[in-house]
Amino acid sequence: MNFDNDGRVENGNGGRSSDAVSGTDSTPGGQEIEASVDTDASDGFDRFSTRDGIPDFRGARRHTLIELIRLAAMLRSAGVAIPPSDTLAAARALSVVGLDDRTRVEDALRATLLSEPADADAFESQFPTFWHRLRSGLTAVATEHDTPMNDEESDESETAAPSDADADEPGVLEDAEAPDFTGSDENDGPVDVRIPTDRRHATGDRAESTGERDARRYSAVGGSERVDVDVARLSRAEVAAIDRFVDALSTIPGRRRRHASSGDHVEARRALRASLATGGAPIELPSSKPVPSELQCCLLIDVSGSVLDTCDRSVLLAFADRMHASARDAGVFLFDTDLVDVTAQFERGDGDPAGALRDAAVEWGGGTKIGDAFATLRRNHPYAVDRRTVVVVVSDGLDVGDRDTLASGVTWLADRASAVVWLNPLAVSSSFEPTSRGMATALPYLDALFGFSEPADLDEAARQIEQRGLGGAIGYEHDARQFEVASGGDPA
Amino acid sequence: MTRNAFASLSPSDLEARFDAESYVADDRTVTTVHLALTLGRPLLVEGPPGSGKTELGKVLAKGFDTELIRLQCYEGLTAENALYEWNYTKQLLAVQADEGTVAGAADPDKPERERSVFDEEYLLERPLLRALTAGGDVPPVLLVDEIDRADEEFEAFLLELLSDFQVSIPEYGTVKADQPPIVILTSNRTRGLSDALKRRCLYLHVEPPSFEDEYEIVRRKVPELDAAVAAEVCAIVARLREEAFLKQPGVAETLDWARAVAQLRHDDAEEPLSAAEIERTLGCLLKEAEDFARVDTELLEQLRDAAAAADSRIEA
Repeated sequence: MNFDNDGRVENGNGGRSSDAVSGTDSTPGGQEIEASVDTDASDGFDRFSTRDGIPDFRGARRHTLIELIRLAAMLRSAGVAIPPSDTLAAARALSVVGLDDRTRVEDALRATLLSEPADADAFESQFPTFWHRLRSGLTAVATEHDTPMNDEESDESETAAPSDADADEPGVLEDAEAPDFTGSDENDGPVDVRIPTDRRHATGDRAESTGERDARRYSAVGGSERVDVDVARLSRAEVAAIDRFVDALSTIPGRRRRHASSGDHVEARRALRASLATGGAPIELPSSKPVPSELQCCLLIDVSGSVLDTCDRSVLLAFADRMHASARDAGVFLFDTDLVDVTAQFERGDGDPAGALRDAAVEWGGGTKIGDAFATLRRNHPYAVDRRTVVVVVSDGLDVGDRDTLASGVTWLADRASAVVWLNPLAVSSSFEPTSRGMATALPYLDALFGFSEPADLDEAARQIEQRGLGGAIGYEHDARQFEVASGGDPA
Repeated sequence: MTRNAFASLSPSDLEARFDAESYVADDRTVTTVHLALTLGRPLLVEGPPGSGKTELGKVLAKGFDTELIRLQCYEGLTAENALYEWNYTKQLLAVQADEGTVAGAADPDKPERERSVFDEEYLLERPLLRALTAGGDVPPVLLVDEIDRADEEFEAFLLELLSDFQVSIPEYGTVKADQPPIVILTSNRTRGLSDALKRRCLYLHVEPPSFEDEYEIVRRKVPELDAAVAAEVCAIVARLREEAFLKQPGVAETLDWARAVAQLRHDDAEEPLSAAEIERTLGCLLKEAEDFARVDTELLEQLRDAAAAADSRIEA
């Protein structure tokens, strides 16, 4: 939040932006704000504020401006060039279109804040958050009591605000600071507001209170159970997909060599052939270097209840087993709220890791604390990851642990490992967006995020890595199959 | 601040005017144009050729029954061509006839023979200046077409005009508009525009219309074409846009093609389009040899399928 900007806009735009709130026209759907327009928006009401059920215009205006500047700041951090004057223009535009109609607000902001077609993506990803914060904040200003949102985060911060205002004397309110709607401050950085839409499932955010059973299962400390499945027999296509994925990830040089302009070995045959052209004198010495063909990896598999419900457990184990067998050196770790090193079980299991896991009394199906799992890995198995290791995380990113722990864990992994690849069972939907708390925290540090539900997903991941390399533009968002589905299945 | 003739304009009013001129605009266009009018800011419209950018300016002028002042930009366009020029011949004659002097500023109080020849009388108004000085209840529409074709220097020259709606003429003084004209700038994105220009404008990116919108456009602009055939035309164009052509067909091409189809078939008006018919008239839609080479039997077949599905889309 840039408070310098804040002040500037308030000064430069004092009179106009109050229109931003009162300028709502007669479009239906305005909820409580609508009522506020019927009462005259004269200055005198400011001092009574929320006391008599008359909305706090000053607070609403301030909230709108804060949210607008916040949106501009978020867009700037996403790389959109927005001069300060555009924020002013946006505030004026809002005063014309009002705050009732979502599409009109969106169009107005689009016209004033954007100037490149390429910026539209950033805008589209930020706008829902802006809209939600704006509306819920205004609702909180307009009503004294509870907000209609059943979103636990906004409930906490926003119902608290008006009650603070109530505690003050009416006379004091005139000069009192408007309630702070900037959201919970610990959530600085990428905004994390859950938007109660039907896209919740697609974005990977599950409602946390959809029933007693789910609450138990997906809570941070949910009960876990013994491993009690058999390992599925993989089809030939699945084995091929896993092997191809392993090959694509390879970072360690094997025995094969390939012609290269700067290699460490002279290619004798090629040099001899080239010397024929110069009468037998070897002028140029072609060299070769080894082809990376072996994989050293560290497989971190999320076995929390949410993942086990999404993925077939036996296939998950078979996948880990095949990865372990196919790579030259693969450490395998299962984690829910705790992290267990099961490399030995996979080694000993010889095609039946489930039995070995049962014997070792390994439990799974608890809650998810990804950050704590990474911290445990760092503390207890620091040598499992080195600079040649590719870390493969299989998790849906539905984290209920501490964000900071997760952030520090994943940065440690990213620093230390050759690459971090995240396989998310939810990332196969075309409407998937990595907005769940855990996924959003981890995403900036990952080399790639791929979907993970069928062999074709691994094939696609392998194809992208082969073509563009681990450092290239790879990930679920570049999955060509999604576009086919999106354009082919679209009826309009 | 100068007065604004559009302060009380409502979006639905604007939509009605668009409607009266048979201009099919989506909500985003209506909101953005409405904002440009009420806020009195220039509107920068970008989009592929043939998407109705220039048409927007024309429709606004017609819809508000006002003058359309059009400035077509090209490389080498200078301030003399765009803004104003002194009428040298008249000035020279005036000085020789001892009716004016080259010294001093214009001052109407002075006797005629001491008056400067740098006066309004000797000024030739070019489009930009005319847009500022035009009177009337409703301000004129200034359409600066294809601004990306003009030199960057010219773009810089527009800045004063766009932000303050005034121009400074060194010998004469500053000319300020009584009421700001409606300024529409269009660009095909052949080069990037400067940030200074962009930040003075509202921005609208025109995209190819949806199937329904395009159908509506064809129905209005080419009423002689049978409704079912019009739906097929739109469905085929929509299908063609999915191909990676060098030059995607725009709305203008769709209309051209619709007119061509209407022209060719007068007696068998209700017959669906045949593959041969599509192939023969495809020159209206595709304007590159490479694009033509891409059209094979398979694609034609797919176009036929798209056309066959069009009727149900219209009904749904």
